Amino acid sequence: MPDFRFENISVSGISTAVPSLRVDVDSFKAHFGDEAVEKFKSATGIHSFHKALDGQTASDLGFAAAEHLLTEKKINRGEIGILVFVTQSPDYGRPNTAGVLQKRLSLSQDCACFEVNLGCSGFIYGLEMACAMLNASSSGKALLVLGETATKVTHPNDRSTAMLYGDSGAAALLEKRPGATEIICDLKSDGDRFDAIIVPAGGFRHPGMTRDSYIGKDGNERTLYDVCMDGTAVFTFTISDIPPAIKDFLAATQTTVEDYDCFSMHQANLFILKQLVKRVKIPQEKMPITIDRYGNTGAMSVPLTLCDRYGSDAEAGAVKVLACGFGIGLSWGTASFTIDRKDILPITCTDSRYNDGIINKIFPDGDTDKEEQ
Amino acid sequence: MTKEEKLAKLEEVFDLDAGALKEDMELDNVDAWDSMTKLSLIVLFDDEFGKKLSGDQLNSFGKVSDILALMP
Repeated sequence: MPDFRFENISVSGISTAVPSLRVDVDSFKAHFGDEAVEKFKSATGIHSFHKALDGQTASDLGFAAAEHLLTEKKINRGEIGILVFVTQSPDYGRPNTAGVLQKRLSLSQDCACFEVNLGCSGFIYGLEMACAMLNASSSGKALLVLGETATKVTHPNDRSTAMLYGDSGAAALLEKRPGATEIICDLKSDGDRFDAIIVPAGGFRHPGMTRDSYIGKDGNERTLYDVCMDGTAVFTFTISDIPPAIKDFLAATQTTVEDYDCFSMHQANLFILKQLVKRVKIPQEKMPITIDRYGNTGAMSVPLTLCDRYGSDAEAGAVKVLACGFGIGLSWGTASFTIDRKDILPITCTDSRYNDGIINKIFPDGDTDKEEQ
Repeated sequence: MTKEEKLAKLEEVFDLDAGALKEDMELDNVDAWDSMTKLSLIVLFDDEFGKKLSGDQLNSFGKVSDILALMP
């Protein structure tokens, strides 16, 4: 298996931010009917989620999480040599958003900054990339920032996705620390199933497609600019590929479920999580659930679940984590690392939107009404 | 597995009373034939028969007997 191992690097902080706006899934009953919403709730386990405001972007959420982390940990920002931003909802057509975060977080010019387009596997891939670069660098610190606003690519009449996703941002600080417990990552991908979860238009493959909605084979309304999920293919993937991936990871690392304190799993839906518990034989109490209150938060599922579980703990003490992210791509990864409870911050809420002033600056009749701090 | 045993398995998956399913029933007329039941059917085939059910196969099922035919 293509695993990646890092010695002398520690995960020394994790934080998560969600938009203040909380949406109750029951509020969709007027739109989809009582029965459909109750069925959705019992199948997915989702009762509410947080939703970004208009103009509140993935980087705003990632920024809030990163700012909280750097402030709480009293980090000298000049020491951060690497910034990896994971999102599928960038601020602009170009440039990538990492530079915007570098500016807003007041990081130095001696910092490699880049963005990576990944979804549910993003925390695991991002962790590996940040560790790998840090390992090869003269710098002592790397910052992984993640953000997603998937609610902005769902069609309001698509009952398969309109109530599924929650928006959030997260950050993790990685530091070189001699004697740190090994971080191990295993990354996988299957491009054959690239279209299992897809937003078909908006890139350059299908330019100029209509924004009119259509009724899909599953009977749901959406446009080509909305996310379209082959639910059966994705579910089959999660039960046929993910349990073996976790079992292979345990075998390759010569560990068992007993060796971990917490299984922080991608919160895809409750039915899938129950399948993982059953198939990998994970003790239920070791696998915290956050999908009930936050929805499917993509790459942020892993850090958000840790922050929800440990963020308010007063006591210090190491937590040995096994994390697994899986979904769009199809892309999946498993990682193990150790973090102290005191370095896992509680989830914060934010309404903050960055006023970049760009429209007003370059567009003569720019409408800046929507922009506010 | 006898036909009766297969039907009993399906009734469990559909969360229906024993005897509720008949092989010539149109699935579209069975209220319990929803996305959740389809996922449970995928799990049943994977767990019990080691078979992967595809979305196309699920969508091709017209009658209860179509499912029975794929059960060994």
